[in-house]
Amino acid sequence: MSEGLVVLDPTAERDEATGRPLAEPLGADTGARIALLDIRKPRGDVFLDEIERLLRERGHEVERTAKPTFTKPAPADLRREIAQRCDAVIEALAD
Amino acid sequence: MSCGLRDVLELETLDTPAVLVASDAFVQAADDQSRKLGQPAIRRTFVAHPVQDRTDEELRATARAVVDDVVARLVA
Amino acid sequence: MQVIALVKHDCETCATLAPALEKAAAAGAPVRIVSQSPEAETRAFAERVGLATVPELDDDLALSERLDPEAVPAVVLLDGDTERDRVEGLHRARLEALFEAAGATLPRDGLPEIKPGCASITQEPEVAARIAARRARAEGRIRARELDLGALEDPFEALHDRGLTDGLPVVPPTPERVVAMLEHTARDSQDVVGVVPPYGGEATVEKVAINAVMAGCAGPELPIVLAAVQAACREEFALHGLIATTHPAGPVVVVSGPYAQEAGMNSGGNALGQGTRANSTIGRALQLVARNIGGGRPGVEDRATHGSPGKVGAAFAERLDDSPFDGLAQDRGVPADETGVTVIAAEAPRLLLDQLAREPEGLCASLATALESIAHPKQRLAWDGMVVLGPEHGRIFREAGWDRARVRDELFARTTSPAREIMRGAGGSPEGVEARFVTDPDMPVAKFAAPDRILVAYAGGDAGLFSMVYGTWAAGEIGSAPQSVSVEPWR
Repeated sequence: MSEGLVVLDPTAERDEATGRPLAEPLGADTGARIALLDIRKPRGDVFLDEIERLLRERGHEVERTAKPTFTKPAPADLRREIAQRCDAVIEALAD
Repeated sequence: MSCGLRDVLELETLDTPAVLVASDAFVQAADDQSRKLGQPAIRRTFVAHPVQDRTDEELRATARAVVDDVVARLVA
Repeated sequence: MQVIALVKHDCETCATLAPALEKAAAAGAPVRIVSQSPEAETRAFAERVGLATVPELDDDLALSERLDPEAVPAVVLLDGDTERDRVEGLHRARLEALFEAAGATLPRDGLPEIKPGCASITQEPEVAARIAARRARAEGRIRARELDLGALEDPFEALHDRGLTDGLPVVPPTPERVVAMLEHTARDSQDVVGVVPPYGGEATVEKVAINAVMAGCAGPELPIVLAAVQAACREEFALHGLIATTHPAGPVVVVSGPYAQEAGMNSGGNALGQGTRANSTIGRALQLVARNIGGGRPGVEDRATHGSPGKVGAAFAERLDDSPFDGLAQDRGVPADETGVTVIAAEAPRLLLDQLAREPEGLCASLATALESIAHPKQRLAWDGMVVLGPEHGRIFREAGWDRARVRDELFARTTSPAREIMRGAGGSPEGVEARFVTDPDMPVAKFAAPDRILVAYAGGDAGLFSMVYGTWAAGEIGSAPQSVSVEPWR
């Protein structure tokens, strides 16, 4: 594998350089709408069924969705839809 | 697993915190890949390998054991 | 005493000399054969040439950097850390003398009297650049944090995703590129050029150079960029307000003096447009400095309602060979024999077309219409203006012998209107001066606070009876004052 490129930081370096940005995390105490994204490997649904039950118990809304195949990244349309409808995503179960 | 890391990172770009659940056979690979994708802190958590030969009840127990950690990573 | 011999795997002269060196070492000579080539190539070299031992590897080229040969084989006699002698290339007689001084013997067998060497690997441009960057870091000339763009990331996407661009791709600022950029100023890389609002980041020469690389500057533009940053960070320029305002203005850089051409700038046809690297990248570098070092981003700290195309970057050079006047910067205090930049907080320029004026008064009457309508014709005193005279218009002033002050006075007088015309409600428009400020409806009200608040510059192509007029952001004490600074201290 080729090494990544090293560049010099053009900013005033006030923040930690953490690479590609992550989203704002969920607020701790609020119930959220969480998408469970099944990668479609066998047995993942059993795992996610239980996760769904547990999240609902904790006061979250849950939406179930699935990738067309586990062999490729999710289609951009699917990701956009999920991002629009939900506050957070759990993708499972990669083995 | 690497497709999952990409999915999760792209969702973060869409302003949606996302966490990947994978088997612990992939811990090192996930570290390497996350760095190579430019974000070492991609949210991820691991369950005991293997998964395929577990009974339904064992998988549910696995889910119960990991759910708090999964949610914690979406909040932190 | 020690003899170090630097070799390269693809150098035939090294292949010729190496066996003799190894033989000398076997006989007890204090010789180290060190290869500049990678491990696999060095092994292959040893096998091809018939060496009993694979030469040492010059890890990271540290030894080559220290000894800095032009050619290999480079045989160096060291007494501790002190170099006593060296022979680059194969000169048998000199090598024999060197070995003798080391108290050893170089076997003669089969060595030619003379065989030229090959370029040391440290002479290859990429290697030399890498070594220069490493040295710059070690010597503290480069201090910026390194960002690792992951191996699976496209570097252009990576820089965009990290919020470090203006929306267009930037040139990745590798240490090698930044070190090369810093060659274009004699200033210390850690000198602070200015403190950039809104978050007060320090723009060191190094940080400006990083952003200049990103903007696409070739190198000679750097002193101009440094002067522009210095000017824009002055308190009187009010960069903080300019970034935060809803007004569309951004910094516009006018360069006056011979260095503009040396740096590749365009003062002629399409000078305010696209196509000239220096014009486009100088303005862009200033904006990237504002964004990356100051931290002001559109939509967050930058609240411009519409903004303007010039906010990607706006810089042009003045045409001085046939100008009716001296340079704008020189008019504003930069010594006549120096090159200066003037930074002004301005919106996008508008055309003033006048294809019929032959006399200076008539041309001024036309220019005044464009100047008076800056922001709104009935808005007075809060704005400055800049006219960029095209050469066909400038000729009219030159032939009439009008200097800049005369032009400004005329423009000031002609942008004055009676109060009744610029009151609120006049002409059906609610804008304008409040009635309670008008004691006499015939009282003349100037557009500008003073004649010298109208800047007059000169640039453009030979053909076209056009000038361009810029309006500014809020001017004077409450806003921004244009700043002129010499480029010389940054060269």
